[in-house]
Amino acid sequence: MVKGQVVSGQFGEILVRQKSGEQIEIGELLFAESNNSHMILQVYDLVYGSQLTQQQLELISGMKLEENTDMEFMNAELRNYVLAKVKTLLTINDKGTHIPKQLPDFFSNVREVRKDDLGFITKPNDPLFLGKLRSGSHMIDIDVSLEGVKVLQHHILIAATTGRGKSNLVKSMLWNILDTDYCGILVLDPHDEYYGRNSFGLKNHSRRDKVVYYSKTPVTGGRSLKVNLKTIKPGHFNGAVNWSDAQTEALYAYYKKYGDEWIEAILLEKEIEHFMEGTTGVVRRRMMSLLDLYVRDGQIFSNGIFDTTSGFTTIKDIVNDLENTKVVVVDTSAFTGSSEILVGSLIVNEVFGRYKHHKLAGTLDKKPVISIVLEEAPRVLGKNVLEQGSNIFETIAREGRKFKIGLTAITQLPSLIPREILANMNTKIILGLEMGPERQAIIESASQDLSEDSRNIAALDKGEAIVTSNFSRFALPIKIPLFEESVKHPNQKPIQSYQKEYLGIQIV
Amino acid sequence: MKFAHFADVHIGSWRDPRLKDCSTQAFNKAIDLCISEKVDFVLIAGDLFNTSMPAIDGLKVVTRRFKELSDLSIPVYIIAGSHDFSPSGKTMIDVLEEAGLVKNVVKGSIVDNRLRLNFTVDKKTGAKITGMLGRRGMLERQFYESLDLSALENEPGFKIFMLHTALSEFKPKDLDKVDATPLSYLPKGFNYYAGGHVHYIFEKNEPGYGLITYPGALFPANFKEMEEFGHGGLYIVDEKSSKYVPITLFERIAFNIDCKGRKPKDVEQELLNKISSSQLQNAIVTLRLSGKLSEGKTSDIDFKRIFDLIYSKNAYFAMRNTNALESEEFEEIKIDADSIEEIEERIIKEHLGQIKIDNEEQLVKDLMKILNKEKLEGEKNADFEKRIVEEMREFVN
Repeated sequence: MVKGQVVSGQFGEILVRQKSGEQIEIGELLFAESNNSHMILQVYDLVYGSQLTQQQLELISGMKLEENTDMEFMNAELRNYVLAKVKTLLTINDKGTHIPKQLPDFFSNVREVRKDDLGFITKPNDPLFLGKLRSGSHMIDIDVSLEGVKVLQHHILIAATTGRGKSNLVKSMLWNILDTDYCGILVLDPHDEYYGRNSFGLKNHSRRDKVVYYSKTPVTGGRSLKVNLKTIKPGHFNGAVNWSDAQTEALYAYYKKYGDEWIEAILLEKEIEHFMEGTTGVVRRRMMSLLDLYVRDGQIFSNGIFDTTSGFTTIKDIVNDLENTKVVVVDTSAFTGSSEILVGSLIVNEVFGRYKHHKLAGTLDKKPVISIVLEEAPRVLGKNVLEQGSNIFETIAREGRKFKIGLTAITQLPSLIPREILANMNTKIILGLEMGPERQAIIESASQDLSEDSRNIAALDKGEAIVTSNFSRFALPIKIPLFEESVKHPNQKPIQSYQKEYLGIQIV
Repeated sequence: MKFAHFADVHIGSWRDPRLKDCSTQAFNKAIDLCISEKVDFVLIAGDLFNTSMPAIDGLKVVTRRFKELSDLSIPVYIIAGSHDFSPSGKTMIDVLEEAGLVKNVVKGSIVDNRLRLNFTVDKKTGAKITGMLGRRGMLERQFYESLDLSALENEPGFKIFMLHTALSEFKPKDLDKVDATPLSYLPKGFNYYAGGHVHYIFEKNEPGYGLITYPGALFPANFKEMEEFGHGGLYIVDEKSSKYVPITLFERIAFNIDCKGRKPKDVEQELLNKISSSQLQNAIVTLRLSGKLSEGKTSDIDFKRIFDLIYSKNAYFAMRNTNALESEEFEEIKIDADSIEEIEERIIKEHLGQIKIDNEEQLVKDLMKILNKEKLEGEKNADFEKRIVEEMREFVN
């Protein structure tokens, strides 16, 4: 079905006249057929066109509004119409797909894109499913999956304002990742929304053995998040707490003197030379508050997740699970922001250390890529935060890809992240962003030219996104299916089927 | 109410004749303690035996001692562990239960598609005991997944849950690779959780749950445990307190030598000096050597001489661990190969020339061929061993 015709313009700004009776939308994909090659076009703006001058149009409008004159245009569809501004996304010929370097033929017809036009979109061996291809507001039944290893390793940024479907996207990504075995994913979940504590979630996946859930208050099957104080080192606080120079020196002095019992030494006020009482006192108070500990009768007691008697292997267990391509969800909803970052820092440091070792040992190729899903990323990657000093998340953002570790950073405010870090995030999934500066930050660091797409981005409805990636040929418009509706609700294995396996239990 | 809790006796575990009876001796000591402490009942949280069908010698002792407890009206509540569980159900624990000497508390029913465990009530104290067996490879996990927790949690009274599994949250730091069950699979609100399977001593009053303890093995089951603990032990528990009581059969004396950058003879001399100046009478001696020698091979350390000295000082037993001892002359070799034969071929070639023997390559291949022979159908172990030894002797001669 012809929707319009190429009438004028220039490269990057082609004008297509809309056929009367057809509706062209912003973001819509169009298909222009030529003799030698075809082109996929995308609409980025819509304007009115008319054969009449602006003055004439205004006069006609005045006569209708002010004098109730009953007027009809003769051959109205020839006189007034819509012009779509489109750009070329891809050229398709018998040799394959190419970045466009030509204009479509003058007066060539354009039609809506069809599924069979897009046979070049194939599923990679390590698929990272993002959603269905979208043309304007219409979903095309083509799965958009990128090469998971490359995409996760080179970081993902998910940018969106609240309510635009970030959580739905991440849930959907994680759910589909569970069907694969090429990556381990650590999710720091400040809203406890992915595992499905009280609703449908990852725990309902048929491969639920690949989902590991840590929480301060776990449901059956989840693990209590306990972190032993002995596993914490001074560097783990970077990014989580702003210590003064004197306080930082005190931390390292305690660590040097007392080894892995340094935090206990601080809390129990053990002797340390060359530090003012005020400094050590503040360090002690802040440490107790951050770690949710208290001291009574010379003994340390825990109210939270940091403990003296348990959690010796928690961090190692998590990293082992990640290496075994599991999705580890850490419910941080009960923590302060600093505690959440501290827990993240502990895990990510261990991952980084271990993968560095694998690289040195020459075994990194055999390891799965690990991605860390981080909400409100500017908390650790923001310009202000990084001015205070580096942290492990920044290190991962800059160097992680060399060690098969990537970030999946989520934010409403990408403009707070330094430009060079944004540029390192080679896949960006852009959901609706109303604020101009935020759109600008994303557009300027996108893998494809989105300079004309500001309006397109602003017009994204809930669940609609644009994916710009070094690993796709063009910026892909996608629609993310609603998680609860799209995923198959697998039947729970009926308990009766275990019956014959209740070996060793006397069933009476 | 007073009870004893132990686990992981592993009767029949050690192969060396001098250590073979130690687990049985430790068991005897534990039973003596239970009697002298006048406990109301005994909990054994899995792996009483090292296999589901233990040897007669150990079984005789266990049966006699359980009969003694039975005569004293001290019931024994037990669960199967990963070693003494048998999928076929043919385990010696069942035999002991049939004889009325122990009570296996892992009993239940299927209610609303869930596994509802029954409580075994101790007649004297009214304590309600239940538990979950342990299986190899954490196969008991599916049982935990289907457990009806609320039925267990709603039961009033003094409740004990026996388990033979590691708990993820409480694993010791050197056992991070061990499979474990999350604490959340256990029913909450029990008074006591009697743990087994992980050989470490652990005690924690966990909010929302109760007192969780692991007494570790009753006698050390390997070099590491011997070196670290030197003893086994059990818990004696009453309503107010719990107490870990070590069961010590022998004094343990550990020598730990860092060999980094040293010559084999220097290491040997240091060990000899240390042993000479130590009292080793009736002790179990552990030797741990680690680090990279500056020259020579690990076999240049004359362990026979060292062990002779240890035994001349009337030590009961000596054992060594040289897993972390390296020498310059045996570096790890990385190779790419497709078949086992190819790997063997290349490793042999890489190592040729280290020992002065004629036709070394063929010798190594022939030796491997002999050692690779399999047991014949119906051949007894002893006959198999004899056949291989004879072939080796013939070859060497």
